[in-house]
Amino acid sequence: MWHIIITSLPEMISAMLQFTIPLAIISFIFGLILAVLTALIKFIKPSENKVIRYPWLVLRAIANFYVWLFRSTPLLVQLFIIFFGLPSAGIQLSPFIAAVIGFSLNTGAYASETIRSALMSVPQDQWDAAFTLNFTTKQTLMKIVLPQAVRIALPPLSNSFIGLVKDTSLASSITILEMFQVSQQITAKNFQPLLMYSLAAFLYAVICSLLTLLQHYLERRTSKYVKGSEA
Amino acid sequence: MISLKNIVKKYDDKEVLKNLSVDFPEGKTTVILGPSGSGKSTLLRSLDLLVRPESGTISFSDLTLDYSEPLTKKKSFDIRKKTSMVFQNWNLFPNLTVLQNITTAPETVLKAPKKATEDQARQLLSQVGLSEYADRYPSQLSGGQQQRISICRALAMNPEYILLDEPTSALDPELETQVLLILEELSKMDQSMIIVTHNMQFARSVADKIVFVENGDILFDGTPDDFFNHPTTRIKDFLSGITFDDSQLKK
Repeated sequence: MWHIIITSLPEMISAMLQFTIPLAIISFIFGLILAVLTALIKFIKPSENKVIRYPWLVLRAIANFYVWLFRSTPLLVQLFIIFFGLPSAGIQLSPFIAAVIGFSLNTGAYASETIRSALMSVPQDQWDAAFTLNFTTKQTLMKIVLPQAVRIALPPLSNSFIGLVKDTSLASSITILEMFQVSQQITAKNFQPLLMYSLAAFLYAVICSLLTLLQHYLERRTSKYVKGSEA
Repeated sequence: MISLKNIVKKYDDKEVLKNLSVDFPEGKTTVILGPSGSGKSTLLRSLDLLVRPESGTISFSDLTLDYSEPLTKKKSFDIRKKTSMVFQNWNLFPNLTVLQNITTAPETVLKAPKKATEDQARQLLSQVGLSEYADRYPSQLSGGQQQRISICRALAMNPEYILLDEPTSALDPELETQVLLILEELSKMDQSMIIVTHNMQFARSVADKIVFVENGDILFDGTPDDFFNHPTTRIKDFLSGITFDDSQLKK
């Protein structure tokens, strides 16, 4: 058994380092940027100024449509459309790019709701206090509201990140040789499905455990102002 | 002076301020009294544009705003520069230290140099007796201490007027006294203040002017002497209603 593990491990770790981890990290970064933008567009009330008001309402409609679309359809179907479907519309993407686009858009849709709920959890009183000191909306967001919202958003965002790491296994279906795909290929040669898939599961668990540690570290850092926190 | 003229504010169909006009003199302490739900806080918040009345005007010596007209960013900035609010629940920024709570607005809004804002903040903190708490977070402080810091935060912007919305209602009597002493001192220094409060003793000792609001109307606008010593029937009822007195139990 150990022999099989030791011979297949380098191949699987290499797939993990080459595809699973980069896919997860790159997609999460893009997804997070998209999520923050989407959340802000949905969260900030349209201005009374007509020049800004109507473009803002259009952006809002787009944001609502985007979140609806990506939460209402399966991730696997989204990946298929982007990789296998778009070429018929003249858009040919490499598997890696197609996967990054799919994972980013999907994560962005879910995480935007997480961020929006964290923004809503900061009391109106904080806005009033900032406004009476003549902060603009942007200054209030940057200095007061976002730092408080980050703390609230961290646990559910960690859920999204951990979920994304595991979802990268779906990239195997669009021809990417990520860790799970490699474990399948090895299984096809050594006929050890229990061992190989358990090994894959174990490696996913290792990555996710590291992320959990990262989450705890970030939670401690962002909670130092909260009563009862040890920092 | 701040002059409010013909202020109307509605929440849905309910008129909470009914064509109300009142002046707040400079260098004086005006105390706004009245039962809960009378529109006192709404009135105070209108001064700082946290509430936007449907119509009426607000004028300062060099600036007038018609509430019914669209509000430009510049005008909103100019008006808010003249006033700073102290809230019932102090609303300090929990993510910032005590010192940062005081320096953040001068730094962010007035672009004042860090060194100057910190010096100013430390001086304000020593005035309210909280110098040693500069690097703590608000959650580590008592309500009375937090409220004193929020007064410093308001003062740090050098507003013409400090607006105080029931600044001691959430405090126990001992902590309340700490805050009231500071307000009394500010009043003696001729800081222009407008205070909404339920503490009659404090109103009596600190007010230069009393405004009594009920049902969105001003029922009294005059000196504390007239208010407390020559009250109308309604004011007499209000004053006796909020004073605990054995004789009411026997009835």
